[in-house]
Amino acid sequence: MSVEATNIDHIVISSNDSAATAALFTKNLGIEIKRTMSRPGTGAHLEFAKLDEVVLEFGGPQQTAPVAEVKARLSGFVLAVKDLEKAVASLRASGYETSEPHAAVQPGAMIAAVKGGTHGVPFALIQYNALPAANRS
Amino acid sequence: MLTKVHHVGIVVRSADEALKFYRDALGLSVTADRVIDDQGVRGILLQVGNSEIELLEPTRADTGVARFLESRGEGMHHICFESDDVGRELDEARARGIEVIDEKPRAGLAGMICFLHPKSNHGVLVELATPVAGGHQP
Repeated sequence: MSVEATNIDHIVISSNDSAATAALFTKNLGIEIKRTMSRPGTGAHLEFAKLDEVVLEFGGPQQTAPVAEVKARLSGFVLAVKDLEKAVASLRASGYETSEPHAAVQPGAMIAAVKGGTHGVPFALIQYNALPAANRS
Repeated sequence: MLTKVHHVGIVVRSADEALKFYRDALGLSVTADRVIDDQGVRGILLQVGNSEIELLEPTRADTGVARFLESRGEGMHHICFESDDVGRELDEARARGIEVIDEKPRAGLAGMICFLHPKSNHGVLVELATPVAGGHQP
């Protein structure tokens, strides 16, 4: 039994002004923002870029007033796996605690967080095409 | 031009302890494991898809990695983007007024590397790397 991670799916960059941080990464590094969204009910504003197989997720609160000083940090990453149930079972068998797999924001995907033992890194596993189409949000 | 995320860097107290999760539990393969004396770190790269995870354990107290560990504890330290020409990226960054840590590319675990100052990216430490032909630095 193994986790069978296939790639880094996404890396989260948290900011108190995620639009400003995403714009700065575009200006400084040429990273093109592909999608922006405000997550209903959460007050979150997200912007996404993709380099090769890895998504950069810039996340933060929706801005209601200018931020005096924009501060950002790397705040976690997610690995894609072939089979989330097997991956979670493998980690639990190795003594790691995980959340129950649940529907992710990404349509058809399931996600589970690893709780502890990741050496300070908020960390999760995600499987795409894990839900039948009828159950996709 | 940046082509991909080369790696994410994670500062840990003990690389051997961290390997229990990143290598043994996740099943990722170690592609490099080396003490870099001039940087005062033991660096380990683990392959996952087209990118890698870098574990950094300080080997002495007078380094940025050691200070990071002391002040913030274990956690994500930097993100490294791959470029086909890190020297050109560095020149262009300076021309755009971006504050840099390295004035010229130097050898690192990921190849020829340089760091941009976190002040220039809202506090996020960014590394740029051009891998050497044939794989990692020996």
